Amino acid sequence: MPARNSTAALPVAAGGGVLRLRWPFRRLLLKGGGDGQAESGLKRAHFRDWRLPFWLLAPQLFILLLFFFIPSIRALIQAFQLTDPFGATTQWVGFQNFERLFRSSVYWSSAQVTLIFTIAQNVLTLSLALLLAFASNHILRGRGVYRTVLLLPYAIAPAIAGIMLAFLFNPRVGPVAHMLQELGLDWDPNRNSWHALSLIVMASSWKHICYNYIFLVAALLSVPQSILESAYLDGAGPIQRFLRISLPMITPTLFFLIVINFVYGLFETFAIVDATTLGGPAGATSILVYKVYQDGFVTLDLGSSAAQSVVLMALALFLTFAQFRFVERRVNYSV
Amino acid sequence: MRPFYGAFAGAGALLLAGLSSVQAATEIEFWHAMSGTLGERVDELVKKFNDSQKDYVVKAIAKGNYDEVLNGTIAAYRAKRQPEIVQSNERSFLTMVNSGAIVSTTELMAQQGRPVDVSKFIAPVVSYYAIDGKLQAMPFNSSTPILFYNRDHFKAAGFDKPGATWQELEPQLDAIKAKGVSKCAMVLPGDYEWSFLENYSAVNDIPYATKRNGMDGLDTSFVFNKGKLVGQVERMKRLVTSGVMQLAGQGIIPIQLFTSGECSTIIASTASHAAVVAAAKFDWSAAELPYEQGVTPKNSVIGGAALWTLKGHTPEKYKAIAAFYDFLAKTDTQVWWHQATGYVPVTTAAYDAAKAEGYYQKNPTREIAVVQLMRGTPSDNSLGFRIGNSNQINVAIMEEVSAAFLGKKPVQQALDDAVGRGNEVLRRYEQLNAGKK
Repeated sequence: MPARNSTAALPVAAGGGVLRLRWPFRRLLLKGGGDGQAESGLKRAHFRDWRLPFWLLAPQLFILLLFFFIPSIRALIQAFQLTDPFGATTQWVGFQNFERLFRSSVYWSSAQVTLIFTIAQNVLTLSLALLLAFASNHILRGRGVYRTVLLLPYAIAPAIAGIMLAFLFNPRVGPVAHMLQELGLDWDPNRNSWHALSLIVMASSWKHICYNYIFLVAALLSVPQSILESAYLDGAGPIQRFLRISLPMITPTLFFLIVINFVYGLFETFAIVDATTLGGPAGATSILVYKVYQDGFVTLDLGSSAAQSVVLMALALFLTFAQFRFVERRVNYSV
Repeated sequence: MRPFYGAFAGAGALLLAGLSSVQAATEIEFWHAMSGTLGERVDELVKKFNDSQKDYVVKAIAKGNYDEVLNGTIAAYRAKRQPEIVQSNERSFLTMVNSGAIVSTTELMAQQGRPVDVSKFIAPVVSYYAIDGKLQAMPFNSSTPILFYNRDHFKAAGFDKPGATWQELEPQLDAIKAKGVSKCAMVLPGDYEWSFLENYSAVNDIPYATKRNGMDGLDTSFVFNKGKLVGQVERMKRLVTSGVMQLAGQGIIPIQLFTSGECSTIIASTASHAAVVAAAKFDWSAAELPYEQGVTPKNSVIGGAALWTLKGHTPEKYKAIAAFYDFLAKTDTQVWWHQATGYVPVTTAAYDAAKAEGYYQKNPTREIAVVQLMRGTPSDNSLGFRIGNSNQINVAIMEEVSAAFLGKKPVQQALDDAVGRGNEVLRRYEQLNAGKK
């Protein structure tokens, strides 16, 4: 079928030029069938009726409904129930699940481990990614190769990464563990809580450094060359330029990454824990999200697991809120 | 044009084949948790059944480990798409019985005109899977822990074989390490709660929980924080701390440390025979579980799994299930399964048949588990365990015991805490299942 309107290009908003729209959108989007000024933007007033925005949002809303709202509500209900895994018997127990949770010293020690884990993981991930981004930005030859290699771990499934590290650091058969033992460190994550904890921090950071790295590389590229050059003329070395100019200018990205890293540490690391330490030894690496998984899926304590996930969800909301409220003040968005 | 006709004909053929198979055989699904060599054996077993007759087809599907099979079953049951048969481990016994989702094997077989004679099965299996003489599930793969040892290592350390009691075995393990025969005299199995605690209490005839370890009702409580079991955990801690007993940790399976010749002994399920035979390149043997000096050892208790029949299927399907169970209980099938896997035969006839054909003379280690399971008269402490939410309690107990290994808390306190956490779970189970058995 030949294009009905061959002069109309795809919507391009670059450079303040004219936004051209194809036939159906032109009619629906633009006020008064307008002449297509990009300056007018896509504001609410420009949708003629509610149907188009609804259909544009529908897939996302549908996915949210299916994979977020329905499970969340189910979890909320289940948090107040005691139930047989097969669903044969269900009892309404009020706040019993929560009471039990907050009385449990195991839960509090898990919360403590989670705090140490998320902070350590965040600091390690961000600083290493920053270092790598800074370094690979200053390498001229083979920059692309370095960047590709640095991005590769992101393509590895968390469970695989965990198993691999568990094996490399296994005190009996792991080559890295043997190296550490040669160096005089009595490495044994099976018997030392701190070793186990550092192992999952390493595993999860290693997985997430690339994610941080790609954002930081992009952020560093967007630092205006002119400012860097004038600093260079003023005699500032690369490290000084990085610390005094690039770093303050990429604070929005850093802030975004801190939030993302916390969410990652809180929610997405259970596969790594499951593959690396199984939450052991003696609960030393049993972070909150792993406990949710273990209590719910392994030991079938659905009520407690649901209560824990509700607490975790509240915690995530609070953390994100706090970060935006307090940390964001230090972020400088205007370049 | 040609491909079109081809596709048409193909579809027609498929349709016909589908129709004819519907008419010819009833298909049932069997979800199991056997992987590796054992998984292949299950496939062979199912093929034997399918080839033996034309009316029924069993489809064996591996669904991951026991936890994953159970999870999958629960999800499928709640979605009303459950398979006909699932394999579930002995720990989930009460969960399955009280789920309201199963048909008891005795009931099913009676309805299908193939009544089960409970006395055909070996006693430890019956005491585990039967309530009031009625089998709740079809016994399938039953095992019990035994001691595998590296004979070369023992010889090198100047020993003939491992001592029968812990008091004899401990110095041997120490010597193996001290003489540098191997750096790892014993490796702790991943399921040590079963082999070192539960079976230890059965063999040494000490109570693990009240009410005959839960057999007499849901109002049972743990009591393993008193007496000999404290000593056992103290011993384990000493062995771990001195490096005589090693923890495999994640990334490798404990039995691999034995079969590779790295560790000299392991207490593991008799089903490990399959792995040991396949991988061990040294002179190995096995022995009964060690016990305390001065004790007349009782029988050990079973582990492994049984087959559960799920509700909600057509009468045709139940006919097929009954036929499959009948096939499983046959002496020939049992003997073959026992020899191919290392699991114990679940019927006395199968044990007698294997013995009569001289199998144990050629393979003496295969008999250890059966002898150990059937020795003496079971006492209240060695009948078996009927613990609600057993998986959950297991995790708590292992967490506390490993806290003791790590030196985070004294052994006595760790066991007290384990009992406390276990009892809390038991009370919750009682609350939910009030009035049930």
